Amino acid sequence: MNLQKTGIVITREYLNKVKKKSFLITTFVVPILFAAICILPSILMMNVKEKSQKVAVVDYSGIVIPYFENTESAEFTDCTGEDPTELKNQLKDRGFDVLVVVSQLDSVKSVSVQTYSKKPAGVDFSENIKSKANKAVEQYRISTYEISGLDQIMKDVKANVKVNEFTLDEKGNATVSESGIYMVISMVLGMMIYMFIAMFGASVMSSVIEEKSSRVVEVLVSSVKATELMFGKIIGIALVALTQFLLWIILTLILVLGANAIFGLSGMVSSTDMMSMTQTGMGGMDMAAMTQNSEVSVIFTTLSHIPWGTMIVSFLIYFVLGYLLYASMYAAIGSAVENEADSQQLQLPVTIPLMLGFFIVFFAFKNPESGVVFWGSMIPFTSPIVMIARIPYGVPVWEILVSVLVLLATFVLMAWASAKIYKAGILMFGKKSSWGDLWKWLKQK
Amino acid sequence: MAIIECREVCKSFGEKVALDHVSLSIPEGGIFGLLGPNGAGKTTLIRIINRITIPNGGEILFKGAPITQADVEKIGYMPEERGLYRKMKVGDQAMYLAQLKGMSASAAQKALKEWFIRFGIQDWWGKKVEELSKGMAQKLQFITTVVHKPSLMILDEPFSGFDPVNADLIRKEILRLKEEGATIILSTHNMESVEELCDNIALINKSKLVITGGVDHIRREYGNNNIEIEYTDADGRHTEVVSREKAGNDVLQSYIDKGVTVNSYKELMPRMNDIFIKLVTGEEAGEK
Repeated sequence: MNLQKTGIVITREYLNKVKKKSFLITTFVVPILFAAICILPSILMMNVKEKSQKVAVVDYSGIVIPYFENTESAEFTDCTGEDPTELKNQLKDRGFDVLVVVSQLDSVKSVSVQTYSKKPAGVDFSENIKSKANKAVEQYRISTYEISGLDQIMKDVKANVKVNEFTLDEKGNATVSESGIYMVISMVLGMMIYMFIAMFGASVMSSVIEEKSSRVVEVLVSSVKATELMFGKIIGIALVALTQFLLWIILTLILVLGANAIFGLSGMVSSTDMMSMTQTGMGGMDMAAMTQNSEVSVIFTTLSHIPWGTMIVSFLIYFVLGYLLYASMYAAIGSAVENEADSQQLQLPVTIPLMLGFFIVFFAFKNPESGVVFWGSMIPFTSPIVMIARIPYGVPVWEILVSVLVLLATFVLMAWASAKIYKAGILMFGKKSSWGDLWKWLKQK
Repeated sequence: MAIIECREVCKSFGEKVALDHVSLSIPEGGIFGLLGPNGAGKTTLIRIINRITIPNGGEILFKGAPITQADVEKIGYMPEERGLYRKMKVGDQAMYLAQLKGMSASAAQKALKEWFIRFGIQDWWGKKVEELSKGMAQKLQFITTVVHKPSLMILDEPFSGFDPVNADLIRKEILRLKEEGATIILSTHNMESVEELCDNIALINKSKLVITGGVDHIRREYGNNNIEIEYTDADGRHTEVVSREKAGNDVLQSYIDKGVTVNSYKELMPRMNDIFIKLVTGEEAGEK
């Protein structure tokens, strides 16, 4: 290989792609989407505080109403003594959203509660009313036993058992886990690799087709060897991909950090902060808020325990190798056709394994230990997608090494085969080529 | 000395034989016509000389030594299937192709500017190729072929697709380059241009070399050795065709002895077109 000439080819390919409008647009639009995905949940969380509901209460029992304390989401008004039927009719005129009617205490010292509203009051609201009515009834029942020092006893017996889920690594260190988060991260990673390979692989193919259909290719191969041209193209576009990837990360970070500075969002709070926040806040918060917050804390703890270093390195390795493997196949296919439309049929054997990897990630990941997933992460045509999706769950290093080596070896073999097909294919004009032709070119001396 | 020598060159694609033991010698300087019907194997031979295709057998010598990739940089090749990147700027495109031929960026820029001025297209440097008219693109294509001052130029059907004005421009440039000492291999179907331009030819048919040699020599060889004489006597002007059994001077002398005035004496050479058809089909062409 003449490195100087390959370098000239790489430079042209790179500059040509990077200067394109489509490159600039994707480079700037995608980070906005990424940033939106990062920021929106925080903004939504901030604005999710519904407007406070005005609640009219008719309490025939007389024991429940003291427990209806005003909160941010509900403002209670004691309307005991008024006629519920009349209230129902005047609900809107009097500025109430909901009417709550509590019955008299029955024979088993319990009450029943009815709520009336124009619009459904929401699950959170009825849960809130229910838990408060329960608390009132429990307190009332306990008080009927007339035990002295009850308040103290109740304080003493109050229990708050928290269940924390841990996964054990090989050294026996425990880490907090949440399988749902692993699943999301794996899928996102798998999808990203799939998208990048499909996108930039197809870009190699269309670049090959462009040279062939514009008939510039024979002029080129009289100056530079066909293999140099092919690899120059593949490497050039790989550099474009890495540039775009880097710009995406930088721009997304700038946008997210910028948004945080402006809105003062806590989206980037570290997991320890979150943990302590949950611990201290636990006592005062109501049930719903507590579950929500402990979930958030588990998400952050889990995120902090994902092997990010291994993951980023493997992501780059699998992306580069997976791209190289597929790009050389796409280059071979591109060499056989003169326009994109003709490439559809020839592409199928290349796109099918790629899609297969994608499907394994989507469907088999309910069970990350299954055979399909294991073999999918070893077979080179699906391994870049499947293995990267497995990594958040923790994969033994030897498995990654074997999978990378197999992938590398397959790429070398495929590059050799593709170069042979490419060399013959780019000089075939005016005839629609089939897989039979590609096979023939491969066998040609 | 031969700039290119093909020795027993063979090439087959699967079952199909494209070149069958072709040996020929292309002398340095002058224009060499590579002739043959479609599918005869001309383009394959040209691609082998350019090291685009590797032969199954035989070898190509460049100035006496087996050809190397470095020698290919001294070749300017304009293939029959030619074109340019449509989306690329004219200047970038020309610079790219020149650099691929081994020129440094500065040398390429200097040489290209000169050519652009010569062809009157210096305004087009920053335009995209797709904005060029076809004639302009053809000029650009020719410039990219010759910008690195190749000692050997291989032009495959150089006039096809060129309008008459540009075809004439290219013809003049080819002759100018020949005068500057370059060797030009011309592959063409246009037999008139062969007669006009070529010094030597080779004819390939069905993968085999049929004939090679000087154009005049071949035309004589395939002619009937006829001489056309136009003379004036008492009855007026006459034209006679006589077969040249004797030396030309003797024929002329015999007319002078008859006491007529010889107006013209012309050796009748067969047209290359007729020789081509005769050799390829084995039939006489023309009046038949």
